[in-house]
This record gives sequence, structure tokens and C-alpha cells, in this order.
Amino acid sequence: MQDLIPVILNMMTLVSILMMVALGLAIIYGLMDLINFAHGEFVTMGAYTLVVVSNQGGSYWLALLLSPIVGGIFGIVLERTVIRYLYSRPLAIILATWGISLVLRQSFQLIFGAYAYGVAEPVAGSLSFFGAEYPAYRLFLIGVSLFLMGICYVVFRYTGFGLDVRTVIQNRDMAEALGIDTRRVYVLAFGAGAAMAAVAGVLVAPLGSAFPHMGINYLAKSFFVVIVGGVGNIAGVAVGSALIGCLETLLNYQVPVSLSQALVLIVAIIIVRFRPQGMIPA
Amino acid sequence: MLFKNTPLDRGEKIWLLTLAGFLLVLLVYPLWADTYTLSITRDTLIYGLLALSLDYLWGKGGLLSFGHAAFFGMGAYAMGITALNLNTPLASLIGLFAAVAVPGVASLVVGYFLLFAGVRGPYFVVVTLAIGIISQQAAISWVSVTGGDSGLLGIPHLAVTLFNLSYEFHEGMPLYFLVLAFSTAVLLGLWAACRGQKGNILAAIQDNELRAQTLGHHTSLHLLFVLVLSAMVAGLAGGLYAFSTGFVAPDLLGLMLSTEVFVWVAIGGRGTLLGPFIGAFVVIRLEQFISSINISLWPFIIGVFFVAMVFLFPDGILSVVRRINNFVARKTATHHQEDA
Repeated sequence: MQDLIPVILNMMTLVSILMMVALGLAIIYGLMDLINFAHGEFVTMGAYTLVVVSNQGGSYWLALLLSPIVGGIFGIVLERTVIRYLYSRPLAIILATWGISLVLRQSFQLIFGAYAYGVAEPVAGSLSFFGAEYPAYRLFLIGVSLFLMGICYVVFRYTGFGLDVRTVIQNRDMAEALGIDTRRVYVLAFGAGAAMAAVAGVLVAPLGSAFPHMGINYLAKSFFVVIVGGVGNIAGVAVGSALIGCLETLLNYQVPVSLSQALVLIVAIIIVRFRPQGMIPA
Repeated sequence: MLFKNTPLDRGEKIWLLTLAGFLLVLLVYPLWADTYTLSITRDTLIYGLLALSLDYLWGKGGLLSFGHAAFFGMGAYAMGITALNLNTPLASLIGLFAAVAVPGVASLVVGYFLLFAGVRGPYFVVVTLAIGIISQQAAISWVSVTGGDSGLLGIPHLAVTLFNLSYEFHEGMPLYFLVLAFSTAVLLGLWAACRGQKGNILAAIQDNELRAQTLGHHTSLHLLFVLVLSAMVAGLAGGLYAFSTGFVAPDLLGLMLSTEVFVWVAIGGRGTLLGPFIGAFVVIRLEQFISSINISLWPFIIGVFFVAMVFLFPDGILSVVRRINNFVARKTATHHQEDA
């Protein structure tokens, strides 16, 4: 039992990160059939926010507060300047956001250099958890992301804005006919998704490091989550993240990291064959 | 036989004449080219072959792959691993066979699950992107087989052994002509495969898949065929690359190469089959020129190209030419009217 607890907590770490990154992607895809290839760069942006803030002598907590603002503003700017002109052309959005992703990655590389920045964990030491020692920072990470997912669920379920979002996901034309300002819903949802991804960036940076291309890995993984879980609802994202995150963590104990990721991809592709709408369709 | 059923129309005649013209240039070109420029041209031809495979999939099949370099890299690694580890005179030939077979089987499996589940359009792009990312990571971290970041070095040139006679394709003209022969054969083969009924069915699927299905065509099976053939051509290009340059590295599977292949096809003209070769030639030259000024400039230019393409010429570069043509034609038409 005591050996099992670190495994479960490792799983939960990956699952919580995946949930935060994939949520924005899934909601945006469900809302507007829009696949954003620059989504991973929001994660990178969050991580570099932490690097810049700590280089200026600021604390981790300041970066954690600033990152959703940085990510959110950038997401809204991206939606207002590029994406809103392309809503009727899904493939064009992929190409345009991929171009933006390339430009951003190259800019990160020019500004911060190609090497990886290590960031110190703000919460040192480990906690005893049901008799097993576990790093305190990871427990903090799981807590923060569960808290944020809870807030998202409440907003989605019990607020007027959440009702608007769910209406648009169900039927865009009908929502518009009922007087919902879909453009406003789009831009707010886009900004919120970007902000969540940026917070995820701050949370993961101390576990590994910040580097220009880090977003790409999260982009691929969160696509798996969306494909497996289904688009446009929080439950789908949670189920998809749980499946992908647990599978990958468990496989990592048995086989090399690269092989486990390839296996996860294969499982995702097989699931698509039998459940094209994902585990939990919108 | 092929031409008896479907006679050549005017466009096809022009296409064949253009191809003949390019071939003539490429055949006499080695007479005054030195070994180094010849090897550059040879590598560009190989990249052109890769671009052709994407054009067949995207232009003819309507499926855009964003990880097409994965199949190219799989072919290159299959070639390299076989040629370096098998200890028979036939190793390099078996390697070339593996270079075609491995991506073929991989695409068959992936294609069966995706295409038969109705995955098309943007969803297909996403999954192929993921395949590209994963294969590159696998190539980097599976060090014992792939050599990790440094890749595989010293892959021998292709050698053909028949009874006691053995011939090795050496650097310079032999390799160049071998690559040219493969490229021409595959180009003509794919062109022939897209003519007649087969081509019409593919065009119908691109136009309206549901309607093509209603007419009794097994559209998923047709698309699966296109995907597998395309992956095999990409793998062949990878195999040619591996024994021509002698080394294989994880970049060959990577996203940057996949992105550039897309640009070559988009610039050369999607669906033209010959265009991707021209696109590869032009863009690689441009890349070398720009990278000689500043090495970090190129990704910016590619990124801006993507955004510009979406807004300025959404139907591809060729549509701009067509638009100018139409404009000129309309101008001359009104002139004639005024004369009359």
C-alpha cells in the first residue's frame, strides 16, 4: 500500500496538468470547432512568466498570479487579430495558428536562448501522506489544479456565462437566434482557456524546466485528451486526462518514456475507432 | 493501354511536356555540375519525392498530414538499421525494401483505425501532428536502436548483387541518376494512378464524400489506399536519403521537416504532382540563401508565410496565377469588345 501511494500521486500530478492544458483546447474546440495549434505556446508563456518574474527578484506567487493575465491577454489578442476572421474555415485556423506557434517558439528562443531554465520549487521538502513521503510541491500542484477545475465546473454549471457557453456548444445558430452574443462568448472562452494553460505552465516549470519548445509536448498530449475524452465538456476532459495521464504514468514504470508515449498514442487511436465522439460526447 | 481508355487531354499534354523539359535539363545538368552541387540537387530531388507523396495524399486524397516527415524518417531509419546490422551482400536492397514496407504497414494500421472511424479534415491533421511528435521523441530516446540524438552514421550506399556481379551506386553521377530514375518512375506512376476512374473517384470524394458513398464507392477504403501508397513513397524517399547521405538523424522525423514539406507543396501547387518538386527546389534554395544571412530568420519567414497564405491566397499560390490569368483574359475580352 505504501508503495502504491507515490504511484497514485504521480498519476494525479500528470492528470491535473493535462486537465488544465486540455480544458481550454476542448472548450474552444467544442464551442467553435476550432483547433488551436498555438495552444502549447500559452503553457510556454506561463513558464517564461515565472522565469522573468524570478529573475527580477519577484516571488513564485507573484508569477502564479501574473501568468493567467499574460496568457489571457495574449489569447484575447490572438482571437481578436487573427482567429475571428477565420471562423468558417477550420483548416485555415490550423495553418494560421501553426504559423503563429512557429513565430512564437522562435521568438522565445531568441529572447531566452535555446537552453532550458531550471526554476526552484517554491514549496520545499516533502509531506507524509498516508505513511508515504511525497514532495510537498507536487501535492500543492494537484491541489491548485483541482481547485481551478472546481471553479471552472461551477462557472460552467451555475453562472449565466456558463449557460451561454453550453448553449453555444449545443447549437450555435439557435444560441444566436436566442440573443446570445456568440462573439463575446468566443473571446472570453478563448481568453480563459489561454489563462488556464498559462497557469499550468507556471505549475509545471519547477518540475522540469522552461524551454522554447516545451509547449509542443503539451499540445500533443492535450490533443490525445480531447480525442479520447470528447470535446466541449468538463467531464470529457477529466475522463480523457485521467485515462491518458494514468496510462502514461503506469507505462513509464515499465518501459522507456518514449515508448510509453507511443503506446498511449496507439491506445488513443484505437479508442477513436470505436468511440469517434470520445468517451463522453458533448 | 493506359492511354487507350482515357486519351490525353490538353492539360495533361502540357503536364507531360513540362515534365519532359525538366527531365532533359536534369539529364544534361551533371555534365557541368561538380560533385558537391550534384549531391545538393540529388537531395533536393529526394525532398521533392517526399513533397510529391504529401501532394498525392493532400491534393488528390484531400487528407492533410501534418506529420508526413514521420513516414520519411521511418523509411530512413528502417534503411539505416537494416543496412548497418544485416551481414549479407543484399543488406542494402533489403533495407530499401524495409524503407518502403515499414511506413506502409504503420500507415495501414493507423489509417484503418482513423479513416474507418470517419476521421477527416482538421481531426486528421491533429492526429498526424501527434504521430510526428511521438515518432521524433521515440527516435531521440530509443538510443540502443536509433542512436539517439546523434542518429546513425556510415550507412553504406545501395549495392546490387546478382550472382557474382556486384554494383555499388557511388557518390556523384551513379547516385544522382539512381535518385532521378526513382523520382521520375514514382511521379509517372502516381500520375497514372490519378488518371481515369480512380482519379475521378478521388475527386468525387474530395467534392462530397457522402455523395460518393451513396453512389456505392467505399470511400474509406479508397482513402486508405491513398494514405498507404503516400506513406510508402515517403518511406522510399527516406530510404534514398539514408543511403545517399550516409546518415540518419531524428530531425528527419521532425515537425520542422513536416512543416516545410507542407510549404513546398503549397508553393509548388497542391494537386499538380509536378509542382511539389519545383516548390522544393525554390524553397530550399531560398532557405539556404536566407539562412546564410541569419540562421534564426527562417522559422519566422515560414511562420509568417502560413498566416499570409491563409489570408492572401487561401486556395494556394497557383490560384493567384489563375486569378491573374482570368484578369488578363477579361481585359483582352473587353478590348476586343471595344474594337468591335
